Amino acid sequence: MKKKNVNNSVAVRKVPLSARIYKYRWFYLMFLPVLIFGILFYYMPMLGVLLSFTKYNGIKDPTFVGMDNFERMFSMPKFWEAFWNTLELSIIKLLLNTGMAVILSLLLNEIINLKLKKLAQTIIYLPHFMSWVVTASVWGMILSPTSEGLVNTFLISIGVLEKGSEVYFLGSVKWWRFAYYVINIWKDTGWGTIIFMATLSGINPELYEAAAIDGAGRWKKMRYVTFPALLNTIITVLILNLAKVMNLFESVFVLQNDAVVSTAQVLQTYIYAQTFNGSGIPNYGYSTAVGLFRSLVGCALVLVCNYLSKKVREGRGIV
Amino acid sequence: MLKRRMLALAATAAMVATSVPMVAMADEEVEKPEKITIMVDGTVFTQANGRAEFEARWEELTGIDLEIIQPDHDAYYDVVGQTMAGGDWPDVIILSSTYYAGYAAEGVLWDMSEAYENSSLMERIEDQSVIDGLRMDGALYGISPTRGNGCVTYVKKAWLDNCGLEAPTNYEEYLNMLNAFTTGDPDGNGVDGDTYAVSAAGLIGGEAPYVNYLPEFYQDAYPSFYKNEEGVWVDGFTEDAMKEALQRLQDAYEAGYIDKESLTNGTKDCRNKFYEDKFGVFTYWAGTWATNLKTNLEANEVDSELIALPAIEETGAYFERVAPTWCITEGCENPEGVFKYFIETMLDGGDMQFLWTYGVEGVHWSTAAEEVLGVTYEEGEFHMLENLETEGTLYTKAHIDPMLAVAPLDYDPKADAIPEESRISTEVFNSTKKQAQLVVSTDEMSMLNGDLTTLKNEIVALVVTNGMTVEEAYEKFEADGGAAWSQEIVDSLNAK
Repeated sequence: MKKKNVNNSVAVRKVPLSARIYKYRWFYLMFLPVLIFGILFYYMPMLGVLLSFTKYNGIKDPTFVGMDNFERMFSMPKFWEAFWNTLELSIIKLLLNTGMAVILSLLLNEIINLKLKKLAQTIIYLPHFMSWVVTASVWGMILSPTSEGLVNTFLISIGVLEKGSEVYFLGSVKWWRFAYYVINIWKDTGWGTIIFMATLSGINPELYEAAAIDGAGRWKKMRYVTFPALLNTIITVLILNLAKVMNLFESVFVLQNDAVVSTAQVLQTYIYAQTFNGSGIPNYGYSTAVGLFRSLVGCALVLVCNYLSKKVREGRGIV
Repeated sequence: MLKRRMLALAATAAMVATSVPMVAMADEEVEKPEKITIMVDGTVFTQANGRAEFEARWEELTGIDLEIIQPDHDAYYDVVGQTMAGGDWPDVIILSSTYYAGYAAEGVLWDMSEAYENSSLMERIEDQSVIDGLRMDGALYGISPTRGNGCVTYVKKAWLDNCGLEAPTNYEEYLNMLNAFTTGDPDGNGVDGDTYAVSAAGLIGGEAPYVNYLPEFYQDAYPSFYKNEEGVWVDGFTEDAMKEALQRLQDAYEAGYIDKESLTNGTKDCRNKFYEDKFGVFTYWAGTWATNLKTNLEANEVDSELIALPAIEETGAYFERVAPTWCITEGCENPEGVFKYFIETMLDGGDMQFLWTYGVEGVHWSTAAEEVLGVTYEEGEFHMLENLETEGTLYTKAHIDPMLAVAPLDYDPKADAIPEESRISTEVFNSTKKQAQLVVSTDEMSMLNGDLTTLKNEIVALVVTNGMTVEEAYEKFEADGGAAWSQEIVDSLNAK
């Protein structure tokens, strides 16, 4: 028998690109609207970042100024103040909100009566649906430094404050951040519990049974079963939200005022002030430069979070 | 009623008499445009409020095709910016004072000085200071058909009576009044010290003239850029007058005279507190607002008699803001014609001004015998109609507020209907007003004034509400770069 020369590799005949496109033409056709949408609404507007290298007042054509806007930005103390405020306010808010959401979820999980549990969940979700404008208005009344302010009236009634020495929580450099965090916890903690409640409902009941057989009480079950089961979700939530810390605007904008600007100005409100607070025609090139910097920092944070996410979630990134 | 009907008939006769000659008298040398394109904000009738009928009536009066570009009111200046950057400029555009100065400095607007001086409009405008306030280095780039109006201080008469006081004429008397209103029982409820004297929406305004809500404390201080008597640009924030004003504000705030929430108040908050009789001295808009305040006080069953206070001795005069301005762009091919047939006719005193003041007959106003929102009118009786967009309310005016018009209507059917309190507050304001200055925009101002204004506002707030001393405030101003930015802007203004 004639021995054949056997080649282990399989010869693949390369199909020309045009033929492949023709073959899958209907898929490409279906993809076309998405492609057009993406180009129109995601990529073309990105060309606007070119303004950050120009002097542009919205009237005449932009003038190329190179890196002037960035040089000016990095030399402005108010810019750095806003940058550090953004990080500080966002990260502390994130830690507090997540921490409170975990605590609240654990407490909700302990409610045995299902109807009561659902009622409690509904009530704590509600503030999330209030707009920030309404929230600021309501809390403005609650924290009012007058006899009508709920908090001040309470503090006077229990003797912590004397009448006439009411605290202007939202107008005080000392108190504004505390008030801001409290308002954020009130508004967003309830909504933040959803993901933790979902995780809690997925814990295998056999683990609790095994813990009970080992003599664990409620506290030990929570400590050794519930909390470890939640830990992965907590880290995931923290990482996912870390990527969004540069987006802080609305909550700060509606609660800040002239007195607290050094502690409350964040990058987005800084851009707003640059554009609308100058009593003149603004230089959009500069505000675009600040916006671009903010986006780049946000992008870097997303990449860092993606890396951390892969580490924590066994190879699953966020992008 | 008979008198009103007679007046309405006279109005109709006056309108007929003045409508035709207005266009016929046009200068022979000025070419009549075939079409005029205008860009306007929501102060002109919107589509939902009968813009088409307004446009048709305007075209009927002039024989010119009018194209109205009207972006959403809130996004108006975004669209204006995009339009100007795009190069497809309208013939006419309405601009606020900030944009007026900026666009004029950029060479976008046509210099109408000569056209104005050769027009009948110059004779018709009663108060030339309004027009002079729009001049930049002598050149005029726009016309405001109305005055900018401003704020006047209202004091509740019942509060003065309860405290046994007369209306103050100087700062000492003013402080005495504030003290009585804060520590006494001005509202007569039997409790001393449960009221405060003054409230304001912010300690410093967000736009020129900045000081109009607390003029008695600012007095001669001005926290922004202005040209002084020597014709030199200065930053009022760096002057001693501003330091003294800050001290006055701090003292009054610490004494409890000023509402503790002034820093975070909106204008609506202040109005509501005033209606609820929580405070007695309120600096607010002159004119129609005097009636609104009175009506709302009555609705809250609070004594509604208000005294419009002439500016106290130390303040001298209330500021009048610069009104929105009608400008012709450099893109207009026939600016003389557009001035003649659009700008000049807007204040002709006859049909056209009537149109800009009250709108279109049968759409916005009527003289027919009918019932409108529960009120019955007889044949020939002038009355406004129900708002097409907001049911249950009446139109009060079109673009031009008749109380603020810089040139009078030949016959104003509502002249006698102006409520007394509105008329008095306007008279008080007009008797002691000064025009706010236009500030030219420079590159340095574009670059630095955002940070500078934020810093100035922060300093005012910290001194007044957070106990910072005036000396510390100005050290901060220096340390944070404010003094250097201010000087840079002043130098750029003086170099222009």
